[in-house]
Amino acid sequence: MKKFAYLSSGVLASSLLLAGCAGDSPSDTGNEGAEDSTQISFIHWRGEDKAVLDDIIAQFEDENPDISVEMTIYPSEQYQATGQRLLQDGSTGDVFTSFPGAQFEAIASAGLFEDLSGEDFVSNFDQELISVGQKDGTQLALPYQLVFNMPVYNKGMFEELGLEVPKSWSEFQDMADTLLENGITPIAFPGADIGPNQFMNSMMMNNAPDEDVFEKLQNGEESLTNEWWVKTLEDFQLLEQQGYIQADALGTTQDSAMAMVANEEAAMLATGSYHMSALLDLNPDLQLDLMAPITVEESEAVYEGINTATFMLAVNSQSEKKEQAKEFITFLSQPEIASQYANETGQHLTVNDVEYESEVLQNTAYWIDERKTRFQPRFLITNAQIEAAVLSSIENVLGGADPMTAAEEAQQLVEENRE
Amino acid sequence: MRVSKSIYLFFLPGLLLYAIFFVYPTISALFYSFTDWDGLSSSFQFVGIANYERAFTGDTIFRKTIGNNLKFMLVVVVFQTLVALAFAMIVLKNTKTTIFLRALYFFPTILSSVSVAFIWSFIYDPSLGILNQVLELVGLEFLTQNWLGNADIAIYSLAVTQIWFHAGQMLIIFVAGLQAIPDELYEVAKIEGANKWQTFRSVTWPLLAPSATIVVAYTTIQSFKAFDLVFAMTGGGPNNSTEIVATYIFDIAFRSYQFGYASAISVIFMIIIAIITFLQFKALRSDRISY
Repeated sequence: MKKFAYLSSGVLASSLLLAGCAGDSPSDTGNEGAEDSTQISFIHWRGEDKAVLDDIIAQFEDENPDISVEMTIYPSEQYQATGQRLLQDGSTGDVFTSFPGAQFEAIASAGLFEDLSGEDFVSNFDQELISVGQKDGTQLALPYQLVFNMPVYNKGMFEELGLEVPKSWSEFQDMADTLLENGITPIAFPGADIGPNQFMNSMMMNNAPDEDVFEKLQNGEESLTNEWWVKTLEDFQLLEQQGYIQADALGTTQDSAMAMVANEEAAMLATGSYHMSALLDLNPDLQLDLMAPITVEESEAVYEGINTATFMLAVNSQSEKKEQAKEFITFLSQPEIASQYANETGQHLTVNDVEYESEVLQNTAYWIDERKTRFQPRFLITNAQIEAAVLSSIENVLGGADPMTAAEEAQQLVEENRE
Repeated sequence: MRVSKSIYLFFLPGLLLYAIFFVYPTISALFYSFTDWDGLSSSFQFVGIANYERAFTGDTIFRKTIGNNLKFMLVVVVFQTLVALAFAMIVLKNTKTTIFLRALYFFPTILSSVSVAFIWSFIYDPSLGILNQVLELVGLEFLTQNWLGNADIAIYSLAVTQIWFHAGQMLIIFVAGLQAIPDELYEVAKIEGANKWQTFRSVTWPLLAPSATIVVAYTTIQSFKAFDLVFAMTGGGPNNSTEIVATYIFDIAFRSYQFGYASAISVIFMIIIAIITFLQFKALRSDRISY
């Protein structure tokens, strides 16, 4: 009996682990009083967009009195963990959102995406930007937001110091040296959280211009010990050794890194365009723009930056209210509604004819049409364990490891996790 | 006295709850550990013991998480027990001050783990954090560290947070155990001329063994399932240096959608915890108190 008790205590501990996976409670909003209307469920992870989406939903319900929308917002980690499971019985998430990459692949494999190919509202989106929501020739999801996952820089500071946006790796280092001479940290790098998974994209974009490089890595045709990734790790090492990123970068959170840029202690924030509004909230006097490091010679540079079409709108294939769900997506893709969403959330969108009113969105809109950007390479790693191996090699190098050693260790993990 | 058979009906509700919420999920986990189920699809294949083979021979990170977990557990069990015992002896007597101190020491326990993670992430922040600033202020700059960003020390930084979080809880168990020791035994020890150490070794510790057993076993289990703290403070990084089995199970199940493999790791993990707990009970022999 005693042995059973010992075993039980161990079993109990393990089962509690799963309880530990639960996060904050999701928040619900919606029109629950409309008795004659069909209520659809809309689930996503963007808590910061709640106010504007509440307003948009109210407008939708005014225009469509026979449909009401119950919006449930989950913390993003919880959404990744439980979102797709909620979709399975069709009662939740008539309209839902998906991240590109591993989550999109998993939901597609489970057959939970309704095929949206041929729907009228698809033409409301920029056709070049929605390919990430396609699989095997069908449009399964429609990315709504367009973010640029590349450093935000203090344009005003650059102008004061007479600096220009570098066009090559040597120019980038000269620029960083000038900033250091002026007592400014060139790059605030939030290595404790999102830094590695964001900055890796622009650091590798020209070292490995082949957009299929991670697909090849996953199927064994490429290796992290090859030139493209070892050079990327060497470039990270150089940033760390030369002091181009702040000391103790692996312990720095995004809030601390943002504070460095807002206080003008650092010139660049190694995250993405989605932090520009928050930076301006912290310091409204900042003039901001985007800039990716070009890690090769100017003549070899293929890309100028990174884009990600994300927050992918989709209809649950298990839903019994698919038509109403499609009505809601149609509404979200109207230019005036999309413009409201864009301006109130400070995001560029994939919807056609959006009018950007805020200065920062207007000033960076040229990145959509005039600059050659590539889709975020990290999201092309569809195996989460391989993605983790890639990212850990960056952390390993920033922690002092030799780039080739770090690449070899990461490659071993890739081989262990290859499917 | 004869007991009516109907009394067994009173066991039924608890037994049902236990079966539904514990036995069934545990058996399910065992079942799925022999499959390649992704957690989403309605179909899956039986893969035999392939998941277990992978865990033992083909998964470097899993082996690393076991090592990290053992390091974390050892530090937490040893220091949390010692800290709790030391503080319990300080606040043993019932005075206004000690009652206040007990409440103060217990306070971290009532905080949510996310709040604790937030507080300690701020304390440990290398540039803005209080810890490094205080060390600099008192002339101990050489001790300043990148507490969560240095792969060599991050797991120990998390252990300190875990000890701060839960030592107060263990203190209460020790206080209860200490207060249950009859005063007469101390009086006898005093008459016999025992010094403080001899009194502790021969009177206090043997009689405190049942409490110590509970504290050590509970701390061990707690340190194995410190998921939320690790998840919120480091996410397992840098470079997997703070990845513990619990966070790894989460990654495998919910990020990689390999529920079959995650179930196999859970079963292995459950067995490891059961063995360690069993060995601790054996070592502490809480049921045999001798005078």
